[in-house]
Amino acid sequence: MIDLVQNTIDGVMIGSSYGLLALGFTLIFGVMRRLNLSYGPSIMIGGYVGTVLYVQYGAGPLAVAGTMILGAAIAGIYVERLCFAPMRMGAGIASMVSSFAIWMQLEQAAILVLPRHTYPFPPLTTGAPLEWGPFLLRLDHLIMLGCALGLTAAIQFALYRTRFGLALRAIIGNPVAAHLVGINVSVAVMLAFAAASAIGGVAGFLVLSVDQQVTPMFGMWATLKGLIAMMIGGLGSIPGAILGGLLLGVVEAHCQWYFGPQIRDLAAYIVLFVFLLVHPGGLLGRAPGSDIAAPRTP
Amino acid sequence: MDDYLIGVLSNIGVISFIALSAYVLLLTGEISFGQQAFFAIGAYAAGIATALWGWPLAAAIVWGAAIGAGSAILVGVPTLRLHGLYFAIATLAFAEMVRILFELLRYQVLIDGEWVGPNGADGFRNIRYIFENDISSLQFMILIYAVLVATLSMFLLLERSRLGVIFRMIGEDETLAGLQGISVARHKVLAAGIGGALAGIGGGLYAHLTTYIEPRSFDVMLGVHSLAYGLIGGLGTAFGPLLGVLIDIGLLEAIRALAGYRMIIFGGLVAILLIIRPRGLLDEKLVHKIGRMWRLILPRGGRVKLGPSGEKI
Amino acid sequence: MMTTSWRFAVIMMLAFMLFHPQTVLAQVRAKAEVDCQPAAEKLQYDCIIKLTNSRTNEQLAGFDLMVGADMPSMPAMHNVRPVKADEDQEKGTYKARIVLEMYGDWALHLDLIGPVRDRVVKVLRFERDRVGEPTSAQTPAHQRH
Repeated sequence: MIDLVQNTIDGVMIGSSYGLLALGFTLIFGVMRRLNLSYGPSIMIGGYVGTVLYVQYGAGPLAVAGTMILGAAIAGIYVERLCFAPMRMGAGIASMVSSFAIWMQLEQAAILVLPRHTYPFPPLTTGAPLEWGPFLLRLDHLIMLGCALGLTAAIQFALYRTRFGLALRAIIGNPVAAHLVGINVSVAVMLAFAAASAIGGVAGFLVLSVDQQVTPMFGMWATLKGLIAMMIGGLGSIPGAILGGLLLGVVEAHCQWYFGPQIRDLAAYIVLFVFLLVHPGGLLGRAPGSDIAAPRTP
Repeated sequence: MDDYLIGVLSNIGVISFIALSAYVLLLTGEISFGQQAFFAIGAYAAGIATALWGWPLAAAIVWGAAIGAGSAILVGVPTLRLHGLYFAIATLAFAEMVRILFELLRYQVLIDGEWVGPNGADGFRNIRYIFENDISSLQFMILIYAVLVATLSMFLLLERSRLGVIFRMIGEDETLAGLQGISVARHKVLAAGIGGALAGIGGGLYAHLTTYIEPRSFDVMLGVHSLAYGLIGGLGTAFGPLLGVLIDIGLLEAIRALAGYRMIIFGGLVAILLIIRPRGLLDEKLVHKIGRMWRLILPRGGRVKLGPSGEKI
Repeated sequence: MMTTSWRFAVIMMLAFMLFHPQTVLAQVRAKAEVDCQPAAEKLQYDCIIKLTNSRTNEQLAGFDLMVGADMPSMPAMHNVRPVKADEDQEKGTYKARIVLEMYGDWALHLDLIGPVRDRVVKVLRFERDRVGEPTSAQTPAHQRH
């Protein structure tokens, strides 16, 4: 019983980082109706910038976090300008494949700069875990959960209570009409992209500081985890992203504990697959159909 | 020909199959991130058949193709109700499930005092058919290209046949195709099956070419690459995906100076190419234009024009 | 039209299956120990390869040994020009300098050409300053990202 609860706690904590990754993903998807495969690798680039700062100049965790978020955002803008801005209309698959090509590019760039497989990453806290009855709570996990909930609230607020959010929602509704009422669609989309990558940067920083190491494979990991959590939660839904992340985290934590890491990964994909077959809309998303279902024919 | 050239050409040939398998689905307007699963299934099935069961190579390849097609149809029936992104993610999930299952698969048999067979994440070594039967790498390359040419000629027939037209019609507008009385679901499953068979053939050849396969070779990376080949090369003809493979493996191989920067150059190149030509180099328009020119150049005598009631003009 | 060509292909395949010779050659099964060290030049490695016959444990000398490589993580996409290994004085020992395209896990293909053709595959992780066990064996899967 204690194991069950402890696993669930761990799952929720890890799941909050998946939720954060999904949050950035879903923001891009919500605005663009496109899949940005380079989302994870942009975060990885940020992480590499951070680790260079840490290894070479001994920067503290906060400075590393700042540069990492900035680096991810800049990489995100690069991806947007190259893969999404030039093909805004009607070439969904082309920009997806293009973002994949940029993924390859970013990964090789990272390997060129830092060729070893793993590099150290600064921990956020080194204190002993908090004890709460028989259960253990890691401080950095708590920060993760706090960030996830805080950022969700912040984005929800930004989307529904600010002028920028209004503009974004107008673009989501109808980009042409948004353009006609005087919204600078190109700039707004670019800023949304940068914000999404920055959120990914926060998530990435928290995950890497728990792991205390960064590898080039982190890009793929982040893209896949974010994608799974987003699809489970429901495409384009912001609370759904966090919920999907938490569900994924809990499922993974239990499977890891009872069956080991391979079954854990397998279970994540099984959950995703079953959700897609039985309830493609996910936990909170709209059912696929007429609206955002997908980029039809390239 | 030296070993190196044979190796590069063999690789191009093998990867062409998975590129073609993604292309079939692209024709019907569906994006699959999961063709690597059927490539892996074909590779394991064919490898097990020759290395463990002592089958001849051709039987093993056909077996791999059959298993690939069968599993593609099994997955296609439930997933092809989904569209676009949902289908793409479902295929991705399936492919990753398959990869992890291969990491768990242990099936080894003691042959001549040595354990042979898939050994989980460590992979499946000693698929030694071409060595045991003394097939040279040149002969194996010729075999790959013979199968590839056969496949391509079938594609050319397909493009001219009713089935090919139906595929493109579904890709263009599914609803409209349905209204014309075409069974959209059935044709999509058929396309998935053909794709699975092609990936299975490629996998079987790949397993025997390298003699060594491991689950991590068949991850998302391979799947998205195979999808990208069609888009780079062009969606107008089956030569498109081949052109894509040729550009990726062949052209970059030719420029040795780029060795360490290969992906940086290639990634940028693809991104720029897709801005200029979102449906690839050999897109429908260009293929149509070439076809028209071809018909103009071709001497009239070779073709017989028929009038409205069938008489010669 | 379609069906006839399919049928033709199937018949051809069956014919090939039935008439292809099934010979199993003399039983020499090579086994290799590979030890690689980074050379002075970037991405170049000096490898010492010890070949033995796994049946009899005797050293295998007098072969032409070609050393090639590809990356398991990107199947068929990296092609390294195979180099011929030089036979050392010590029996069954060969030396080769390989040039790779990037750091990471590589599967070395040791192709024996001689009385018997064989291939031994070794997966190693090549880094700038060392060569070691491949990633899959080194890190547990839950840390792999």
